[in-house]
Amino acid sequence: MIWRFGLFDHTFEPLALTHWALLAALGLPLLLGLLAVVFPLKRAWPIVLASVPVLASGLVLLFAYDQAGLLRWQWEIAGVHLSLRLNGLSVLLLLMTQVIGVAAALYTPGYLRLSETGSLARWLWPLMGVVLSALSLIWLATDLLTLYAALELMGLAAVGMLMLSGKVPALVAGMRYLLLALVGSLTYLLGVALILGHWGRLDLQGLADVIEPGPVAWFAAALIGAGLALKAALFPLHAWLTPVHESAWTPVSALHAALVIKASLFMLLQLWSILLPDTFYAPRVIAWLGMLAIVWGGLLAWRTDSLKTLVASSTVAQLGYLMVAFPLLLGPDIAPLPRALAWEGFWLQLMGHAFAKAAMFMAAGNLILATGESTLKGLAGTSRRLSLSLLVFGIASITLMGLPPSAGFTAKWMLLQAMIITEQWWAVAALLTGTLLTAAYVFRMFRYSFDETAPRHRYQPLAPGMDLIALTLALIAFALGLLAHFPLELMHGGSP
Amino acid sequence: MIASFDTIEAVLALCLTVSALVCLFDRHLVRACCFFVAFAVVMTLAWWQLGAPWLVVTELLLGVVLTGLCFFYALGHLLPGASSPLKRDTFNEPWSRAAIRLLLALAWFVMIGAAILYVIVDMAYSPSEHPLLLAGVVIAASAIGAFALHRHLLRRLLAFNLLGSGVFMLLAGVAGTSPPAQALISVGLLVAWLGSMLGALLIRQLLHLEGIEALGHDGESKEGAT
Repeated sequence: MIWRFGLFDHTFEPLALTHWALLAALGLPLLLGLLAVVFPLKRAWPIVLASVPVLASGLVLLFAYDQAGLLRWQWEIAGVHLSLRLNGLSVLLLLMTQVIGVAAALYTPGYLRLSETGSLARWLWPLMGVVLSALSLIWLATDLLTLYAALELMGLAAVGMLMLSGKVPALVAGMRYLLLALVGSLTYLLGVALILGHWGRLDLQGLADVIEPGPVAWFAAALIGAGLALKAALFPLHAWLTPVHESAWTPVSALHAALVIKASLFMLLQLWSILLPDTFYAPRVIAWLGMLAIVWGGLLAWRTDSLKTLVASSTVAQLGYLMVAFPLLLGPDIAPLPRALAWEGFWLQLMGHAFAKAAMFMAAGNLILATGESTLKGLAGTSRRLSLSLLVFGIASITLMGLPPSAGFTAKWMLLQAMIITEQWWAVAALLTGTLLTAAYVFRMFRYSFDETAPRHRYQPLAPGMDLIALTLALIAFALGLLAHFPLELMHGGSP
Repeated sequence: MIASFDTIEAVLALCLTVSALVCLFDRHLVRACCFFVAFAVVMTLAWWQLGAPWLVVTELLLGVVLTGLCFFYALGHLLPGASSPLKRDTFNEPWSRAAIRLLLALAWFVMIGAAILYVIVDMAYSPSEHPLLLAGVVIAASAIGAFALHRHLLRRLLAFNLLGSGVFMLLAGVAGTSPPAQALISVGLLVAWLGSMLGALLIRQLLHLEGIEALGHDGESKEGAT
């Protein structure tokens, strides 16, 4: 498991261009965000201009990995070792972050122009920059100190972003999210303290060599797991998620649901694969909770009246699919084939869900903006006028339901195959139930929107491109399933 | 010499515990915030005692001055002319729920204690030689209890800060004051200050929009998340 995260020695030193690309990938989003405070943005073209170097840095890193394989950077500052690594998985996640980040940024000017936003709108940009920079750092960092700092930066900036709308429900929900996230990070810190106290080091590669199973590793894994599960909104610690999304701005919700909660999940899997490589029960507990999450999240999304709650609850259920894969990734004596299948399926599901959920939030935001209603009943009759937004919603839900040929289908196919090989019938049942429930809540939403008897309303016209950006994201999620061999090859490259 | 060394640490640990408990459970909010500042000052002394000068500076700047200012700003004591409706908070939880919270805090206490016993083996034989570590365990446990018990947002923010200090104390007790440990604690202090600042701004905004009731209820009280 550990080599899959790129925790082994590198063969080649990074080139000078690669150093610059790394610096740009980590620093540019932050810098551009700060610039946007000074020069307020009204149009989309400066964002197009700014996104070119960001995306270019990601592509340079991709080519550098393609040429040289695993790359590492190490520094020592005042007795503290910091290290980064670049493997296929981190390149993929970095590119995903940049694409979704750019899409959310492009979507924002039109959204801010159409919805009445206060004077706080300009602070969205630096916060978005911090979130994207910190996310990029999380995908690359390989020591517990950098991971902690990046996680906290990301969490605080995310809380700030979610509360910018300034309404009372947003503030109350945001305050609760803030307190829980802070307590979660302290739990994580306590786990790190145990690791530092017992093994005396913080770099993941060194820890992977010295950690042996025992009570300290179990306590540390439990503390770190609890803290990160709270931040990742894993069932049963998901209660803060829906109210937070209910009154947040659309691009913020898209970024948060697509990327921010995934970062904690990524860290959880990475740290557990070091701390608990051969434990039987811990991954199974996660998987059982995941089965409950699939059912409970699906039921919540099915019974709700609010469109945003539907999209947010479906996140809880979709995270359940990832949790169910835990016993296939961690644990004693798993055959190599199901483990490889589960590894591929896990990350493909994560990426497919990120793109699809960002697209779905944008489509839902477009529908709410155009109709002025946030309930499902308010959608009645939208099929005549807002067909493009509904189409985006539909394409995104194909990925969430796991119908072919989307990323969701390919990912679930791999997970199912791995589960059948290892004879985990409960997980298979949960996966199938989840698909049915997803279909149920998506079709419930479409039933309202295709109500032809509804009276005609006047709809607010959307800014040009708002639907197209969402459509692009939904189509990327779709294409990830058709062209899955490309990301899968990247995930497998670099094995020793 | 060694005896006096231990006495200083023991006195510091006692001061920390007492000020933390007053800060967590006093109904009078201004007094609780004052005790928070006192707690942070004692923390500074404790870092000095543990031989971590970098942490003394960080704690003094971030913990005492900046975080203290955040709390008094949230209380409305910084802006001239701003009225301060925040004086006391009332407590009307049913006893059954308070008891459940108490049990949770106890379970947390036992878990941390057990984990630390495994890391520092000799603590099992001589717990009195690590008074600051013991204080850290007690503070962290009572802070998580208070965090789960209180509904008032300012109280929860205070409880979070004390939980943070308890965890830093545990970290220093378990891992010593090596450079990585000091770096972790410094990042933690910075995060706690940023979080408190965000929280204080939010509390003021909520007071401005909704009045005093908004702080007490924490929205609808769903309990699944705590």
